[in-house]
Amino acid sequence: MRLTSISLRNLRIRLVSTVLTLISIMVATGLYAAIKLMAAQTQKRYEGSLEGYRSVIGPKDASELELVLGTVFNIGKSPGLIRLQVYEDLRSGKALGRRAQLLYTIPQARGDEFSRFQFPVVGTTDEMWNKFTRGDQPLQFTAGGPWRFGHDDLLALASSFAEYLSAKRTGAAQMPLRPPLLPAWRKAVIGARVARQLDLGIGGKVTPSHGKPGEFGFHEHEEAACEVVGVLAPTNSPIDSTIYIPLGTFVLLADHEENVFKVDVPQGKNPDDVKHLPVKAGDLALTAVIAYPKDHLGPRILRIEMGSRPEAQAAWPQDVIPKFLKTIGSVADWLEYLAVMVLLVAGLLITVAIYNTMNERRREIAIMRSLGARKGQICAIIVGEAAILSLVGAFAGVVLCHLLVLLLRTTVEDLTGVYLDWAAFTRGEVYLVIAVGLLGAIAGLLPALKGSFTQVADNLSPSS
Amino acid sequence: MIRLREVQKSYRQGERTTVACEVTSLDIAAGEHVALIGRSGTGKTTLLHMLAGILRPDQGTLSILGQDLSTLSESDCDRFRGQHIGMVYQTFNLLQPFTALENVLLGALFGRGAGADAEERALHLLAQVGLEDRMHHLPSQLSVGQVQRVAVCRALINNPELVLMDEPLGNQDKATGGQVLDLLLQLARNNKQTVVMVTHDPESATRMQRTVDLATLRRVSS
Repeated sequence: MRLTSISLRNLRIRLVSTVLTLISIMVATGLYAAIKLMAAQTQKRYEGSLEGYRSVIGPKDASELELVLGTVFNIGKSPGLIRLQVYEDLRSGKALGRRAQLLYTIPQARGDEFSRFQFPVVGTTDEMWNKFTRGDQPLQFTAGGPWRFGHDDLLALASSFAEYLSAKRTGAAQMPLRPPLLPAWRKAVIGARVARQLDLGIGGKVTPSHGKPGEFGFHEHEEAACEVVGVLAPTNSPIDSTIYIPLGTFVLLADHEENVFKVDVPQGKNPDDVKHLPVKAGDLALTAVIAYPKDHLGPRILRIEMGSRPEAQAAWPQDVIPKFLKTIGSVADWLEYLAVMVLLVAGLLITVAIYNTMNERRREIAIMRSLGARKGQICAIIVGEAAILSLVGAFAGVVLCHLLVLLLRTTVEDLTGVYLDWAAFTRGEVYLVIAVGLLGAIAGLLPALKGSFTQVADNLSPSS
Repeated sequence: MIRLREVQKSYRQGERTTVACEVTSLDIAAGEHVALIGRSGTGKTTLLHMLAGILRPDQGTLSILGQDLSTLSESDCDRFRGQHIGMVYQTFNLLQPFTALENVLLGALFGRGAGADAEERALHLLAQVGLEDRMHHLPSQLSVGQVQRVAVCRALINNPELVLMDEPLGNQDKATGGQVLDLLLQLARNNKQTVVMVTHDPESATRMQRTVDLATLRRVSS
């Protein structure tokens, strides 16, 4: 027999009140734990998503944040275009990027989507499979493998397509043939979430499209329907929601000719005249280039180097995203304050729930005092009840939070792209349970004091 | 064992002060069994509560086992009561959510400690009063006589030097109550314990070695 046995028995005999208070503590703690878990995992997701993207090169008329959100997180429309020549200069390391010591540069073109979930379709080269790394590892496949469309294929296509388009735009008498969309390029590699959500596997079909299905202006590029040849392993990053097709396929989409090359309006010329100007291979338009400098100094050097180029800029995701998260963080902070308030209200509920029982417990307390119980022991019994109630409620709240995450993680990922790890219990949650237990103990102090000052002689008989 | 001198306890009700209990002199020897009798309102229960250290006298000295209770702090008084005094009430005052065994162990918990020894002693006491097959029953599942026996076991669990009883036969038939009282007095004799019983029942008082009428202990008004 211990004091805790008495506390537990007292909780048991007031089962309804105990359960209701327990539920309020559980919900309050669960809410707090959920907010913390969401904030932590969103931050982890955002920071983890940057792996492999040390620098992003894009058009100068976009902000660095737009560039990073568009290229890394598939958020928003492509903010503009840069020339293939910028990519070539970076890749060769002659005009640009030598001092930054780039380990890889990978071109990207985006703008089309697939399915009602609007998974972005990104045109790129096979360096995405050969050179791009996340945590020193190339992207892994759970089924199939990569398609082939290399740097040389890109240059050859840019050259032949520029020749064809130049002839078409200038109205040349002798028209070269339009480069064909080779069957070997009509292949797609899809992210894990795309595969799961669309139940797509090897041999499945992906058709790039514009607009939203069922809405005005929706158009599917049936001519560029690609066969799924590879499914990527989950990365808990936006890669999971992306469809990668060869850049050649993207370039050769039927109605993209107007925007495939980036041609500036020469001084003194009418913008309409641009349509009739010839294009060069180096004018092929890209939405971004992923660059990976050897060390963390590289992105700064590259940013300075790119500053001298009028048509492109280098964004440094590891600098941009933390600043962005800081802004989002203040919203999470407010939610956290709200959850703390809910916890305090739950603490008040404990006080009220136990305090209200004090009158009916006067005789019980008087009997214990008559047996030799000190005021401190009576206090300990009542504070113990409050602490047990809040500790159990807090523990249940944390478990509830993780169970909800387990149940809702697929829905949350489908809605927000954030993958929630239900099994990621943290030390912070242990501290939370302890803190709520302490809060409960403090909440129990007032009824405990009232109980300990019960007049013994006056309350020993049943009639009193 | 017990020594009272010029002890008085009064209550104020507005402007009026009522003397609830007055004892000019009372001595009870160790191992003595004493019945305190008196008419209603003579302060029998108040005296019992003062002997238990639950109430403090307004004046006078009250010492038990050589310890002047009025010099002890409230906490020390509680501890003293838990370790040296056992009490049996008219209404027995068992805690309803606890079983017979647990009620007896509560006495140990607030007295000399509820370790394994206490549990062994509680089982032995309950067996001695014939409740070996009722020790895991709640008070509501026991008869009045059984409840009384549990209350006696709780009073004796710490092997106290002093046992105080407040009208222990008040609510039951005399035959059953008398048997339990005889049992308690037998156990007390075996353990050389002092017993003070408050009663208005002359027959119960005859079971004790000495009877003290509270009216005779009051100061004679001049």
